[in-house]
Amino acid sequence: MIELHEVSKTFGNGVPIVALADVDLRVDAGEFVVVLGPSGSGKTTLLNMIGALDNPSTGSISVGGVDISEASRRELFDFRRATVSFIFQSFNIFPGLTAAENVQFGADAADREDVDPAEVLDSVGLGDRVDQFPHELSGGEQQRVAIARALATGNPVILADEPTGELDFTTGVQILQLLQQQAADGKAVLVVTHNREISRIADRVVELSSGRIVSDGPPAEGKARLEDLHW
Amino acid sequence: MMKDWFLLLRWSWRDLRKYWVKVVAIALVIGIGTGAYAGMTSMTNWRRDSNNASVALLNMYDMRFELAGDSFVPRGDLESAVASIPSSGSVVAAEERLVRSIQVDASTDDATILVPGLIVGRDLAAGGPTINTWHVEAGTGLAAADAGQPLVMLEYSFLMHNDLPSSGEVVVSGGQVLTYTGGATTPEFFMVVPENTTSFAQGTYAGVFASLETAQGLAGLEDVVNDLVVTITDDADRGVITDEIEDAISALGVGVDVTLKEDDPSYRVLFEDVENDAENMTVFAVLIFGGAVLGAFNLITRLSEAQRREIGIAMALGVKPLRIALRPLLVGAQIALLGVVFGVGVGVLIGNMMRDLMISFIPLPIWETDFQWSLFFWVAVIGFVVPFLAAAYPVWRAVRVKPIEAIRTGHLAARGGGLAPLLKRIPLPGNTFAQLPLRNLLRAPRRAVLTTLGIAAVMAVLVGFLGSIDSFVGAINRGGDAIKGDSPDRLVVSLETVLPVDAPGVAAIDNADSVGRTQPILQLGMRAAGDQDLNLLVEILDLDNDLWQPGVVAGTIEDSGTGIILAEAAAEDLGVDVGESLLLTHPRRTGPTTFGFAQSDVTVVAIHNNPLRFAAYMDDAALDLANAVGLANVVYAEPAPGSTPEDVQRELFSLDAVGSVVTASASADDLDELIGQFVGVLQGIAFFVLLLAVLMAFNSASIGFEERQREHATMFAYGVRVRKALRMAIVENTIIGIVATAMGLVAGVGMIWWVVNVSAAETMPDIGLVVEMSPTTLVTVIVLGVAAVAFAPVFTVRRMRRMDLPGTLRVME
Ligand SMILES: Nc1ncnc2c1ncn2[C@@H]1O[C@H](COP(=O)(O)OP(=O)(O)OP(=O)(O)O)[C@@H](O)[C@H]1O
Ligand SMILES: [Mg+2]
Repeated sequence: MIELHEVSKTFGNGVPIVALADVDLRVDAGEFVVVLGPSGSGKTTLLNMIGALDNPSTGSISVGGVDISEASRRELFDFRRATVSFIFQSFNIFPGLTAAENVQFGADAADREDVDPAEVLDSVGLGDRVDQFPHELSGGEQQRVAIARALATGNPVILADEPTGELDFTTGVQILQLLQQQAADGKAVLVVTHNREISRIADRVVELSSGRIVSDGPPAEGKARLEDLHW
Repeated sequence: MMKDWFLLLRWSWRDLRKYWVKVVAIALVIGIGTGAYAGMTSMTNWRRDSNNASVALLNMYDMRFELAGDSFVPRGDLESAVASIPSSGSVVAAEERLVRSIQVDASTDDATILVPGLIVGRDLAAGGPTINTWHVEAGTGLAAADAGQPLVMLEYSFLMHNDLPSSGEVVVSGGQVLTYTGGATTPEFFMVVPENTTSFAQGTYAGVFASLETAQGLAGLEDVVNDLVVTITDDADRGVITDEIEDAISALGVGVDVTLKEDDPSYRVLFEDVENDAENMTVFAVLIFGGAVLGAFNLITRLSEAQRREIGIAMALGVKPLRIALRPLLVGAQIALLGVVFGVGVGVLIGNMMRDLMISFIPLPIWETDFQWSLFFWVAVIGFVVPFLAAAYPVWRAVRVKPIEAIRTGHLAARGGGLAPLLKRIPLPGNTFAQLPLRNLLRAPRRAVLTTLGIAAVMAVLVGFLGSIDSFVGAINRGGDAIKGDSPDRLVVSLETVLPVDAPGVAAIDNADSVGRTQPILQLGMRAAGDQDLNLLVEILDLDNDLWQPGVVAGTIEDSGTGIILAEAAAEDLGVDVGESLLLTHPRRTGPTTFGFAQSDVTVVAIHNNPLRFAAYMDDAALDLANAVGLANVVYAEPAPGSTPEDVQRELFSLDAVGSVVTASASADDLDELIGQFVGVLQGIAFFVLLLAVLMAFNSASIGFEERQREHATMFAYGVRVRKALRMAIVENTIIGIVATAMGLVAGVGMIWWVVNVSAAETMPDIGLVVEMSPTTLVTVIVLGVAAVAFAPVFTVRRMRRMDLPGTLRVME
């Protein structure tokens, strides 16, 4: 589903900042992958590359059969509409739309008509916040609206940047379960975190450090059940 | 401490770099608003100053005494009469003149110019004249040695309007050829307003300035005068002196008409015109100014609203409000400074534009067009204060709320609040893309309203401007059409005196080779009593004639008997309807060619289609009332087939009985030309108004884009195309554009109404204006108001395309 080949990303002129260096990565449909790494290690950058928000300095990326490093602007828009859905580290939900409408936006963006926003919100535990505007929601609730919006697209690749950062343990677990369920339904799910504990529930953990993949495989202590997590 | 300031300065330098396009554009909005006001108001001040200076320079009379009718007295008698009065010590100077109506043929190879005019003979001895002097604008003046020679000067604006050289020859009544040595202005001709016209007659009424001896020679009158101009000391009692002189002249056995300086038609119109124009200009200028201020306030507010969150953070960090306010205020200051610079520039530009027009239009000897320091100073102060207030307002709002709210409400004014909750209940059609534009508007209603009002104000000015022009042009066109009627080429031949229609003089006109059909008419000045008494110029003619009849919009001219046909404006002002009767004071013949006055009740039988209020018509059945059956003083003459109106003018000019020959449409053409010039300037100003509207739309779109940058980035991350995002922005702006244009249209029509029914009704009572708006105006306004505003976001496409998506999305709220 996702294939990165020798992807590097360098920022800045003058003193170059290497955000990603020679990353090779392959994620299949149905996989639930956690990307782990300290702050500044390039996690968000990696997700942005995969989501075609940014293009790599060198290397090639193909997602869902589309070579996004070669694609035209137009193809990239199509790709983002039909293939990936983003959950941003900084939410980016629309302040002018209610929770339900934000979710509806996700469905509209992906041209899906059979989505009931209330249902999706219910699945992230916001069944009673449907008509609230973002400024009336807590940070965690806003994050869940962002997740619901991504889910509403129904796209085969889900890219989640710190989706549990703002959440308490119980809600965080619920969200992870939800995302895991998406993987089980055949989607490729990438979840970024710097929380090692969360990484334990993944099939696979990709660990980044200074822009390089330093390890890639099942969690070190083996895959844990959600109930066994502590954070 | 120093380091703090450096940071602040560096920070606002970054602000400036980020905002400079908008800073310039908003400054331009302020500049146009303040500049338009300053420029237009400068013009008023200049005209007042120039009028006063010119009247003083040419030493205009304090009073003028005209001998009544065709009376004359020997030269020197009038001056002696003045010397004999008790208060003669208060008289500074008194000069005799000979003033006579005259016909002038100033035709050139290119054009036939046969016009009525006035010859004014003055004593050239001892460097005269000293009162109502002549200011030579072209060619050379007359010297004492020219007395009695066939040498004259022509009134300067007559030369200008007819493109005549600064010296040349003209033929005057009686066939005498005169050489004119130059063109001159004089106070009585600053505004050329012959009797019984409302138009400015620069091109169609010739002032001929000559020595007393030359004028006497042309009139065939030895050593006589009929006119006296007098200046008196400042502290003298004008009423007393006037009465004394009047008595002294009456004692010579002649009737005398007195005109005080302020009642001189030229003087009166000259000064009234300034005030009337000023009144109209002020309305427009204030509106442009107000629209710009509103727009600038809105834009700057939005600009500094962007820093609201940062203000919250600074407050949370315990920074003093004043320090917090500094950064937005600095942006405000930059706009203010630049705005003042632009304002002065635009003001000078508009001022110059209008000055050039005025100078070409009113031939004053002195134009005082100094830079209006105090005016510009105050305008600059306002132009400077507004951006500051606008920048401070959001700071003030932000500082008042709890820091947490400022931080939490977060990015820009991007909240769900406003009127948006309203929409929760109202199901809107379409998906979220269709709903977002309206949502966006409603969630920041204050901003939307301010933007709309700003654009609406500008649109109103535009509508008011263009519509007023349309209304004037409309009246002129209607007037022209009404006058032309079924006989567009006919000429109006004024006879020297009232003649029997079967007199040889009248027959000679009918028999002229170049003349086809003719129709004799008796034209009489009458006074109608009503709600408001009106002077009418009544043409009495056979309403069954096959040459020309007035067009009728109400009532009928069949069997009208002694009934009268009025202009709509006249009927309205008199308070009469068709079928009602009217008391007329009219001339009644007492001797062969002498008239006294009588009163008759006549019925209003119809309303004609000429917008000139004083124009009225009666059937020749009414000649009885004037005891003038079979008399005429005007003949309508159509060119014979194969002849041109010019042919007729040339041929008839040589006839003794003929006074003047003008085409019927001449006065309409005159007005047309006049309005044409004004339209030019108004269009010049309209251009700035357009620029203002476009700038405001552009700024609004640009700031709107920044406010929504993050939302756009999110949409793009979800694969929403730039085209779609643009479409949403366009829809949002279209709503603003439509509402603003609708409001602008309503307010603008109100302004036209005001100009037509209040301002012009007072300043140009003799023209029956109605509110009119041409399709061009309507289309211009709608296209501009809706389309320019709607499509302004197109300018942001490039920035949308090149948006740094990860960067924009990354920033934490
Ligand atoms: N536009 C940019 N210009 C310059 N440097 C950048 C840019 N974007 C990211 N970087 C740098 O690239 C590196 C990786 O950034 P990235 O956002 O991917 O980190 P991250 O792993 O997501 O960190 P965090 O857990 O704090 O979100 C960082 O050192 C950052 O400073
Ligand atoms: Mg990150």
